[in-house]
Amino acid sequence: MGEEEAYEFVTSTLEKERIEPYTREESEVVHSVQQCINCGICLSHCPVVAAVGIYRFSGPRSIAVELSRSPPEFWATGDTIYLCTGCGTCMEVCPKNVNIPEIVNMMRSRILRFRPDLVPKGLHVVRETILEHNLAFVPLEDVEDKTESRDMRLEHYGLPLIETPEEAKSEVLYYPGCQAEERSQEVREAAKIILDRFEVGFTMLEDMCCCGLPSRLMGDKDTAEKLASRLKQRIDELDIKKIVTTCAGCTSNIGDASFAYDWNVPVLHLVEFLTDEVGTDKLAKAFTKPRGKEKVKVTVHDPCHLIRHTSRQLMDKALLLLDLIPDVKVEVSTAADSCCGGGGLVAYHSKDVSKAVVKENLEAIRLLEAQRVVTPCPLCTAQLEDNLFQSGSSIEVDDLTVFIAQRLSNKG
Amino acid sequence: MTKSDVVVVGGGSTGTAVARDCALRGLKTLMLERDDIASATVGTCAGMISSGLKYMDEPHIVDMCSQEVVHLNRIARHIVMKNPILTPMLELSDLSSGGSFAEEYSKRAAKREVPPVLFLTPEDSLKIEPKLNPNIIASMYFEEFFIDPFRLCMLQAIDAQRAGALIRTYCEVIDITVKDDSVDEVLFYDRVKGDIERVKTKTVVNAGGPWAPGIAKMAESNVEIRPNKGAHVILDRRVVNVGIIAKAVDGRMIYLFPHENTVLLGTTALDTWEDPDTLVASHDEIEYLLQSMEWVVPSIREARIIRTMAGVRPLVANWKVPEDKVTRGYETIDHEFEDVRGLFSFTGGKLVMCRHMAETVTDLVCEKLGVKHKCTTHEIPLPGMEADVDILAFSADYGISQHAVERLRARRGTEMTRVLELTRENPDWRTTICACEPVLEAEIRYSIREEFPQNLNDLRRRVRLGTGPCQGTFCTYKASAILMEELDLSGEGFKVDILDFLAERWKGKRQSFRREQLVQEEVTQGMYTCVANLDQSEIEYDPKPWEGSI
Amino acid sequence: MNLEADIVIVGGGMAGLVAGTIASEGGLSSIVLRKGESATSMSSGAIDVVGYLPDGTIPFESPKEGLVALASLYPFHPYSILGFGEGKPAFAEKVITGVEAAVGWLKDKLKDSVAKIVGGLDSNILSLSILGTTKPTCLIQETMVSDGFANEFDSTLLFLGVKGYPDFFASAAAKSFLEQSEIEQEGPRKVAHSTVRISPFGNTCNISASEIARHLDHDDALGELLPQIKKTVDTLGATHVALPPILGIKNARGNRQRIEEEVGAIVFELLAFPPSIPGLRLQRALEETYRKSGGQLLLGHEALSAYKEKNRYVSVQAGAPRRSIRISTKAVVSATGKFIGGGLRGAEDGLTETVFNLMTVTGNLIQADNIRPYDYTSPFAVDTGGHSIFSCGLTVDPQFRPVMPDGQPDADNLFAAGSTLAGYDYLVEKSGLGVALVSGFYAGKNAADAAKEVD
Repeated sequence: MGEEEAYEFVTSTLEKERIEPYTREESEVVHSVQQCINCGICLSHCPVVAAVGIYRFSGPRSIAVELSRSPPEFWATGDTIYLCTGCGTCMEVCPKNVNIPEIVNMMRSRILRFRPDLVPKGLHVVRETILEHNLAFVPLEDVEDKTESRDMRLEHYGLPLIETPEEAKSEVLYYPGCQAEERSQEVREAAKIILDRFEVGFTMLEDMCCCGLPSRLMGDKDTAEKLASRLKQRIDELDIKKIVTTCAGCTSNIGDASFAYDWNVPVLHLVEFLTDEVGTDKLAKAFTKPRGKEKVKVTVHDPCHLIRHTSRQLMDKALLLLDLIPDVKVEVSTAADSCCGGGGLVAYHSKDVSKAVVKENLEAIRLLEAQRVVTPCPLCTAQLEDNLFQSGSSIEVDDLTVFIAQRLSNKG
Repeated sequence: MTKSDVVVVGGGSTGTAVARDCALRGLKTLMLERDDIASATVGTCAGMISSGLKYMDEPHIVDMCSQEVVHLNRIARHIVMKNPILTPMLELSDLSSGGSFAEEYSKRAAKREVPPVLFLTPEDSLKIEPKLNPNIIASMYFEEFFIDPFRLCMLQAIDAQRAGALIRTYCEVIDITVKDDSVDEVLFYDRVKGDIERVKTKTVVNAGGPWAPGIAKMAESNVEIRPNKGAHVILDRRVVNVGIIAKAVDGRMIYLFPHENTVLLGTTALDTWEDPDTLVASHDEIEYLLQSMEWVVPSIREARIIRTMAGVRPLVANWKVPEDKVTRGYETIDHEFEDVRGLFSFTGGKLVMCRHMAETVTDLVCEKLGVKHKCTTHEIPLPGMEADVDILAFSADYGISQHAVERLRARRGTEMTRVLELTRENPDWRTTICACEPVLEAEIRYSIREEFPQNLNDLRRRVRLGTGPCQGTFCTYKASAILMEELDLSGEGFKVDILDFLAERWKGKRQSFRREQLVQEEVTQGMYTCVANLDQSEIEYDPKPWEGSI
Repeated sequence: MNLEADIVIVGGGMAGLVAGTIASEGGLSSIVLRKGESATSMSSGAIDVVGYLPDGTIPFESPKEGLVALASLYPFHPYSILGFGEGKPAFAEKVITGVEAAVGWLKDKLKDSVAKIVGGLDSNILSLSILGTTKPTCLIQETMVSDGFANEFDSTLLFLGVKGYPDFFASAAAKSFLEQSEIEQEGPRKVAHSTVRISPFGNTCNISASEIARHLDHDDALGELLPQIKKTVDTLGATHVALPPILGIKNARGNRQRIEEEVGAIVFELLAFPPSIPGLRLQRALEETYRKSGGQLLLGHEALSAYKEKNRYVSVQAGAPRRSIRISTKAVVSATGKFIGGGLRGAEDGLTETVFNLMTVTGNLIQADNIRPYDYTSPFAVDTGGHSIFSCGLTVDPQFRPVMPDGQPDADNLFAAGSTLAGYDYLVEKSGLGVALVSGFYAGKNAADAAKEVD
C-alpha cells in the first residue's frame, strides 16, 4: 500500500473507532481539564446543577473527571453535555480554573462528527440556518420588512435613525452580531447613534455574518472556523484596527478568535470602548435626562461572556457608565452574575432547563424595587425579557446600548 | 477433608484460565489464590494481547499469539479493545529495523482482521497525532488488541465457578505433601477466616508466576525463573488518541497506550531479586520512561501522572542474555522427571497466551487423570459476551446516565443487566459512588455479593473503583461504608478498609508525585488526615509490605 | 484603564480576605485578587487553631496549651513568629495574646453571618466527622455545636443520613463512633442511625449537598423533613441528632433552630469532606465581611506578575481570561495558598513559588528549590508524622515578609500569609484555618503600616 493510500486507510479506521486527534488548541484545553482535583466546589456554584440537580446534569466535575477522559466514549455523554450553558461559573470558582466550557465544545464537536443522530434536533436546525444564511437566525427575506421592523423599534425606543456609514476602510469596525442585526435592530441603531455622537469614525460590514459562537457551542468547528476566517478576510480588506461590538457573546468569541489566530486586532465591547477610549469626562457631559423619562431605578445583569469569559472589569465599567447618567439609580441584584439560561444553546433543545436556570435571576430581580433591568448584551436582554414577561412581571429589560443612546444629549 | 481432582495454585491470568479449562472439562477443581484474583503480575500489565510485537524472531510464538487473539476476540469481545498504533521513526536505522517486523506482522494480519503494517509520511503521521515530534522521518502504523486484564481474570474465574470449580481467594498454600512420589495433599491457610485447611488431590498446577519456585519447593521440586520487574506510569486521561511505540534510551522498545480512560506509559524491564510484594516503580524507571518517550512525544511531561505500577514477570530462566532476548514463550514443567508426579509448573508466558497455557497443562492433567474431554475454552464465550447492547435504551429504561451505562457495559457486557436489575428495587442505588469512572452503588453491591471481594482493593479490580484522577480520594469512604454494610463489618473494619485502600493507592502515587497529583494529595490528606483525623485513630492497621521497605 | 489600591492582596481565601478586611479597617483601600475558590471553601468550615504537635499523639486540651508548646519547641512556626520581639526569642504569652486578638476579631466579624462561629482558645472542641471520628478543633460554626453529648452517658446519638446522598453513610459513622466511644468509655452508650428522604428535584438518587442545602433555604422545604426527623427521634428516643452539613447555605442557623424546637433534640452538623457547605458558608461570610469593610474583591483575576522599584513592589499585573490590568499599589500581601491554591508548585525538579518567584524552603527551613517531592513523603499514606512536603513553603521574617536566600526580605512591602508559609503541617497539627487567620491578620496589619509609610 502506498503512503497516500495508507493514510486514507488509517483515517477511515480512526473514523470507525470514533477517534479524532486533538488539535494543538484542543490539547491545551485537555491540559487545563487534567488539573481537576475533584473537589466539587463547582457543584456548589453551577447554575444548571442548582436549577435541575446533579441527577439530571451531573455537573462540571463529572465533565472533567469522568466524561471527558476517553474520546471514543464521548458519544455517550450527549444526555449531559448539551445541558451546559457554558456560563463559565465553574471555571471562575475552580481552584485550578479548569476550562469546562471549552472541553464541552470539544466533546460536542466529536458527537456532531461521529454521532450526529445524538445531537439535539434544535441544534441541527440552528446549524442549517447558519450554513444557509451565515447568520444564527433566518433573516427577514424582504428588505422592506426589515426596514419596517427597524423603524418601528426606533419609534418605540424614541431613537433617531442615523445613516449607516458606507463600508469603507476604517480604523474601527462596529460589529452588531446576529441578534442586533436581525432581531433587536434597536441595539445596532443605538450603537451607531452613540458612536456618531462621540464622533468616532467607524464602518460596518455590508454582509454581516455570524461571529461563529453558536457554531462553536454546538461543536461545529468547521463552520466556526470558516466564519472566523471570513471575518478576518473582511478585517484585512477594510484595514480594521479595532472591533467594537455590543454583544457579550461576540465580544468573547471574536476576542477568542483574535487571540487564537494572532489577528492583533483588539475586540472591545462598546462599554469599555466608551469608558477607556472616549473617556468619562466626555461621557459625563454628553448624558442628559431623556425626554419624558423620570428618574429610574435599574438593576443590571452581568452577561457570562463578558464577566467570566472576558473580564469582570467590563461590568465594573458598565456600572461606571450608568453612574454617569443623571437620574439613574442602580440597585444590585444578588443574582446579577448568575447565568440567564440563554447560554450554550440550551434553550434550543431543553427549554425547561434554560427556564429553570433563569429562575434564580428572576426571583432576585423581583425582590428589588428596580423598574428596569439593564444588560450589555442583546441575547441576555431577550432571554430575560421573555422570561420576565412569561412570569407576569412588569419589569422591563433594556440592552445597555439602547439605554445609553436614549440618554444622550444632541451633538454640539 | 475435601477432595479435588486438581488444585490450581495462583489466581492470575494463567491460574484462572487453568481453573476454567479444568472445570469445563468436568474436573473437580479448586483454585487457591493467596491474595485476590489478578492481584499481582497480571494486574500491573498493559492489557495488550500482543500479536508478538517484541519477539518476531520467534515465529512459532508469533503464530500462537495471533491465533490466541482470534480466540479472545471470539470469547471475550466485550472486554477487548483495538488500538491503532504509530511507531514514529527519527532515524534511518529505525526504518530498517522496522522493516523485518513489518514483514512478520503483515503475514499474520489478515487472520486477526487487521491491516498489514503501513508506512506513513511525517506529515500524515502528525495529522494523526499532532503531539508527535515534527522531526520524525516516517512512521509505521499497525493495530493491536487490548483486554481489560482484571475483567479477563474475573470472568475466567466466574466462568470456572459456574462450571463447578471452587474459587478461593485469600487462601495461601503452605504445604504440598508428596506421597509415593505423587502429590497427595495441599495445605492452605485461609487468611480471612484464619483457618488451615487441607485438600486431597492427585494433581496440582502451579501457576504462581513469580512465586512459582516457592510453591514448587513445598513439593520438594524445583522451578527456576528469571524474575523481571516492569513498571508503568499511568496518565489521567487519553492525552493521545493512538498508541505510540518508541525506542527507549537504551534501545529497547517502550510504548504509550490508551487504555480504558487512561494512558499507560511502559514499560521497564529490570532483573530483580526483590520480594515482588514490596516492589514499587523507582524514580529512575519513571524518568527512563519519560525521557525515552519525550523524543517522540515532546510534551509528554505536561501530562498528569496519576500513579505508577510495578510487577514481576516470571520469565523463562534464560541467563546471560539481555532481557529482551529471553524467549517470550512459556514452558510447562511436568515434575515427574524429579519424581513428583501430578505437579505441573509454568515459567514464562504472556497475557495473550494464558488460555493456551491452560489448554496445554489441562491436557497433561487430563492425561494423568485419564479424562478424555477436549478443550473448549476457545469456543465457549466468557460471561457477558452474548450480544451487543443498546446503551441508549438501557439508559432511558433504568434512568441511569448513558455514560455510566456504557462504562458498565465495558466491564460486564450483557451481564450488566444483573446490576441494572438491582436498581429496580433500590432506585437510590443508582447513585454514583466513584465519580471518576463512574461506579454506581448498585454495581458495588452486586460485585460484593457475587464476585467475592474482601476489601476495596478487590473492588477496584472488579469495578475500577478509585482508578481515576483522584485515585480514590472521593470514593474510598463511601465504598468502604457499603462494604461494611454488605459484609456486616465492624466500625473498626470500616476505618481499616479506608486506610488499607489509601495505603494501596499511596503505593502507586507516591513515587511519581508532581504537579497535579501533589495538589490532589493535599485534598486527600485534607480529608482523611485533617478533617477525619484518621492519622490519630488507634485502629489496628497492618503495615503493608511496601511500607516497610524504606 | 488601570486600577489603584493601597494594598493588593493576592488570594481570596481565609488569609487574603482577613488581610484585606484589616487593611480596610486601617483606612486603606485594597483589592483582593481571587483567581478561584480554594482551600477555605473546601474546608469543613471549622477553624482549627492547633490540635496536636507535629508527630504528637496527644491532643491539646486547649489551643492555648498548644500555642505554648509550639512557641517553645517550634520557634519558626507561623504562630511562634508573633512572639518575636526586638531580637528576643519567642514569648508564648505574646503568641497567645496575638492569636487571641485575631480569633476575637473574627468571631466578632462573623457573628451575624451565615457562618457564625463559637469556641475559643481556652478549650478545644472535639468535633464529630462524617466518618464517626472526632477531632480537636477550636472554632466551629454554630450549626455544629453538639452541646457536649460526649459527656452525657445517658444520651442517645442518632446519625441521620439522606437517601440517595452518597457523601454520608449514617450506618458506618454510627458503628465507627460507637466502637470508639466504647474503647474510650466515654460518650453516649446508645447510638442509632437512620435515613430520611429529602428530594429537591424529586429524584431518588445522586442528590448533592448543595441542592439539599439550597432546597432547605426555602421556607417550606423543612416541612418535608421535619416529620421524618421527629418520627425517627421519637421512635429511637434520640437526644442528639447528627446530620451531614446540609442545613442550608443562607439559613442553616434558622433551620437548625426550628428542627430542634420541633423534634425536641439537639441537632448538629458533622464535619464533612468537600464539596462542603460549611466551607462555602465560611467563604461567603468572609467575602461579605471584606466587601462590607469597603474592600474590592476582584473575582476571576489572577496575579500574573509584580513590578518592583528599588526595594518595593509598586504594581501587580492581574489577568482575567481576555483582559489584563495593572494595579498600582503601596504594599502587597501574598496569600496564594499551598498546592491547592496554587501558590506553590511541586514537581520532579523542585518546589517553586508561582507569583513572585520567592525562595521556597522545607519544614526545616532548608532551601527547597531542588527537592524531589517523593523524598518529603512518608511511606505511610496516613501518618501521624505527616508528609513533610506539606510543611514546605515560604519562610518569613517577624513582619511576615518572605525572606530570600541572602536572609533579607524580598521587598520592604511584600507580606505572606496562609498555607503558603513553611514551618508547619496543618494537616497533622490541625491548624490550617487558624494559621491562615492569624497570619492574614498580622500580614494585613503590617502591610497597612508599610503602605502608610509611603505617604
